[in-house]
Amino acid sequence: MALPSPPGLTPLEIAFLCEMEMVTVVPRQRLEGLELLGGPTKPLHPPHRTSLPLWLALLLKRQRRANILPPPWFHPTALTSILDFERSNTDQFTPPPPLPPSPPGTATTSPPFLSSSTADAPDGALPYHWLELGEILLDAAPDDIVDPDAVRRLMRDLREVRMAKMRAGVAVLDGSGMVGLKGVGGMEVSEGRAFISGVVDGLRKIGASREQALREREAEEGDDAYEDIAENAGEMDL
Amino acid sequence: MTAITQQRLRGRPAHPPGQTYLTYTPDGKRLITAGSNNAIRIYTTGSDGEPINVDDCQELNTAVVATNDFFAAGSEDGTVCVYSLGTNMLDKVLVRCTLPVRDVALSPDGDWAAVASDELVVKVVNTRDMSRVLYLREQSKPVKHLAFHPSGSYLAVSCSDGLVYVYSLSTEDPQLVKKVDGLIRSLETDEEASSRIIWHPDGTALAAPTATRGTLYCGKYAAALIWASLDIQMISRVDWERQRAFASGHMGDITALAWSPNGALLASAGMDRKLLLWETKTQKIIARYEYPSIVSLVWHPTENILSFTNSDGELFIYTDFVPSEHLNLLKKPLQSAPFIHQTNVREPPVITADHLQRNVRARRGTPDSLDDILGPDMMQDDEDDFIVDDDGAGYAEGVNGHGKRSNEHLDAPGGLVYKRRAMNDSWRPRFHPSFQPGSTPWRGNRKYLCLNLIGCVWTVDQDTHNTITVEFYDREYHRDFHFTDPYLYDKACINDYGTLFSCPPLNGAPAMIFYRPHETWTSRADWRTKLPVGEDVTSISLSDSYVVVTTSTNYVRVFTLYGMPFRVYRQKSSPTVTCASWRDYVLTMGNGPVGGDGKTRLLYTIENIKRDEICQNEDIVALPEGGEVKSVFFSDNGDPCIYDSTGVLLILLHWRSPGQARWVPLLNTNLLDRLAGGRKEESYWPVAVAQDKFHCIILKGGEKYPYFPRPLLSEFDFRIPLSPEVVSLSEGTDEPSGTEATKLEESFVRNSVTLALLEDLIAATTATHFQRSDLVRKELEFDKILLQLLAIECREGEERGAKALEIVGQMRDRSGKMIEAAGKVANRYGRNLLEEKIRELGEKRLVGMDEE
Repeated sequence: MALPSPPGLTPLEIAFLCEMEMVTVVPRQRLEGLELLGGPTKPLHPPHRTSLPLWLALLLKRQRRANILPPPWFHPTALTSILDFERSNTDQFTPPPPLPPSPPGTATTSPPFLSSSTADAPDGALPYHWLELGEILLDAAPDDIVDPDAVRRLMRDLREVRMAKMRAGVAVLDGSGMVGLKGVGGMEVSEGRAFISGVVDGLRKIGASREQALREREAEEGDDAYEDIAENAGEMDL
Repeated sequence: MTAITQQRLRGRPAHPPGQTYLTYTPDGKRLITAGSNNAIRIYTTGSDGEPINVDDCQELNTAVVATNDFFAAGSEDGTVCVYSLGTNMLDKVLVRCTLPVRDVALSPDGDWAAVASDELVVKVVNTRDMSRVLYLREQSKPVKHLAFHPSGSYLAVSCSDGLVYVYSLSTEDPQLVKKVDGLIRSLETDEEASSRIIWHPDGTALAAPTATRGTLYCGKYAAALIWASLDIQMISRVDWERQRAFASGHMGDITALAWSPNGALLASAGMDRKLLLWETKTQKIIARYEYPSIVSLVWHPTENILSFTNSDGELFIYTDFVPSEHLNLLKKPLQSAPFIHQTNVREPPVITADHLQRNVRARRGTPDSLDDILGPDMMQDDEDDFIVDDDGAGYAEGVNGHGKRSNEHLDAPGGLVYKRRAMNDSWRPRFHPSFQPGSTPWRGNRKYLCLNLIGCVWTVDQDTHNTITVEFYDREYHRDFHFTDPYLYDKACINDYGTLFSCPPLNGAPAMIFYRPHETWTSRADWRTKLPVGEDVTSISLSDSYVVVTTSTNYVRVFTLYGMPFRVYRQKSSPTVTCASWRDYVLTMGNGPVGGDGKTRLLYTIENIKRDEICQNEDIVALPEGGEVKSVFFSDNGDPCIYDSTGVLLILLHWRSPGQARWVPLLNTNLLDRLAGGRKEESYWPVAVAQDKFHCIILKGGEKYPYFPRPLLSEFDFRIPLSPEVVSLSEGTDEPSGTEATKLEESFVRNSVTLALLEDLIAATTATHFQRSDLVRKELEFDKILLQLLAIECREGEERGAKALEIVGQMRDRSGKMIEAAGKVANRYGRNLLEEKIRELGEKRLVGMDEE
């Protein structure tokens, strides 16, 4: 481990985490339930739908043993309406899917364990792993997707609109501003991290002399103001 | 087929040699020809005198169309000119193209002229206001022919790239409705062969010379394949499927074709010097004539006259063209287009013969009557009407013989469906028609014979035989198969062990049953059994152990899986409707006595074939008023289910004990969450009930049956309709406890139903260990729901104590643990009195005192 890796998760790692998402498959072949580390899977009986982790679904799809049912938000009409929302609301992202009202287990509140990409997920919201999941599905199971070309185009549009919004948010980062990241997906955070943290670092360098002056003054005045500055710095540290 | 009829007809030299075109005015009084010289000739029907010449026109005309007031001619110099029929003079230049005009078509009302030229764009110009132009731009190559639908709302465009483009013109912005591939040949625009589309006058189908592979012999041994337009293929407008063809008539490319005004006859001319007259219904040639190089042919709108022009510039007016023995065909009212399976055709509007004489009006003479002011086209109910009543909703009501609207739009007092027609003759009860669960009617030349969770069976009509394909969902467990079917099987069942087919009596051969096991340990032993003569199969069903057939003579015939006749008995309720079976149980349905709504009550009988016991005897299928059974099947646990036409799924509870059965609704598809927004227009086609889910196919856009490619199955959880539709859960996390309680109450009722079903099953069969543990698990779940309900009641307040105690009283648990837990819940909310009562109840239960 000689090379220092950049802070945060790399896109590959995020895609790997995304493969833990549950997706709905229609099996084409029988398969007994598997005792996996992540928990047992249900036995597969064609044509009954079952939820499986994405990695297993991709494996079965590649062997033509199953068809993946794309989640409802991955339909062209749903994506179009999400895109419309993104375009008409310049200051916020599409909100993430709502948490299920009463989670059956207590630990299932974080993205890979929420069933936000199964066939019964809500269709008006993008889940945390939308970008990477969409790319994987388009790559591995284009024949199961309704109008894959339109979906591919919409995904690209969505991504560009949202990236533009994130970059626009950087403009307010110089001082005490904040960027609302509600609804931003995992891959987008990873992509934006390098840019935003670079901007923030740059801003910090530019403001270094001012900070220095501030620190000196604070040393004179006492330590009251110190805490505020620390908080500011903490916020910027993405 | 008759021999060549020949009455040598003298051609009238109308124009110098060259392509010559002609048209009749819609009233049939005048015939207009246009050819290669700069004169257009107008002949008067019934007069042999010299035609009127219109001299101030272009040379090399390529198309001519006419209304009663004007006509338009297109020419190779790119202009389309309009001439008045009043003055016989040039009126105006309608449109100018940069390239030669190839075809002009006029909408039935004469308001729009579609112009095809060697440009890529088809222009549709308003004939009154030529600044209003619609452009049709989808085609990639120049257009050869154009044809307006009889309603004027569609335009079919034969493009030189070999595709037919059908545009809808009913909106301001023309929409491409359909690209029909493989119908016509790709022909250059100036070629003599034709790729003209002709709409059948009833508007449900179109026909065109189709690309057929003909064989041309060159030399002694070598044969070369050429593509030629020899046949005329019809296509349905509803689903764009290929229908009947007028085949093997011509030996050369077809150059012109036209329907008779009522659609009962078709005339076609080819490069083989033949002019053929076909009967539409049978696609047989009824007369052959020999005329070389016909370019264009038209029927007289009302009389038995066919006129045609050839490339020598000659005009032929063939009076009494249809031989007298077939004249009745021409006199018939508007005929419907022949479809392979008439089931997919809507009834054509009833038009009586005198409607063909459009000019004869019932009322005349009132000065300034509305009819005179509006002109003949406004009030007429003919197929030119803009509104086409395609769904029978009645917004384009028929006009009766007196020019008035009929009273058909009023409901007869008997019911919603029955019209006055039926009330005229003696009253008859309405029967439930028989059906085969899981099958669809013909659409085009395909239909599903059976569609369930195992797989599907579908058949394709190949005219002389069918081809049947059986596909499975489980590709590993079963192998798909496909066979040619000379018996025309029309019903099928499929399960894990085999496939069952039945065919109707055909050409004197009796009806037949065919069972084909998927695989056995010996060589595959499929068998066929013939039914007695005169008996037709109304429905079949296949279980793990028996084959059940209900017949038109009201017999229920039971065979074993090896073809042994096992039982035969007559069904008590008749006529039979359908049957279903599961293991040894058979459910048959039939029409019973007439109910209050004038319709027969549907009765069902369930019996155990093996033990020869009747479980339910002629019990009533609970249907709402006017409802029909869409499908009947057994769930995977062996409980009978029906899905009715109002979209409710019902299951039969306690059906093993006679007289105890009742229908419980499991799901009302009208109350599904996905329909809550009111945006979606969809219906559900039932497939099965399995693993406590309803499996169905979602049909969108008013479709009634699934079609190809096979749609995906969808599944819905049961939800017993107890309350108005549940508010969508995504609206907020802090949901009101009322909604939660409703949900819990629903799952309480649902679980009590499934528990009852499971208990019945375990009591009736030697239950497996799994089933017993499942029962225990379900009981536990049931009590948990009650605990949750109890918690809500406790939270609500002290005064709800009585209800809370009642909830505890519902608990199934005999060990007392659940009641103990209930006491703890009450304790947590500080309801001490309630806790005490619960403890008392628990103690009573333990000593067995609460049996009242």
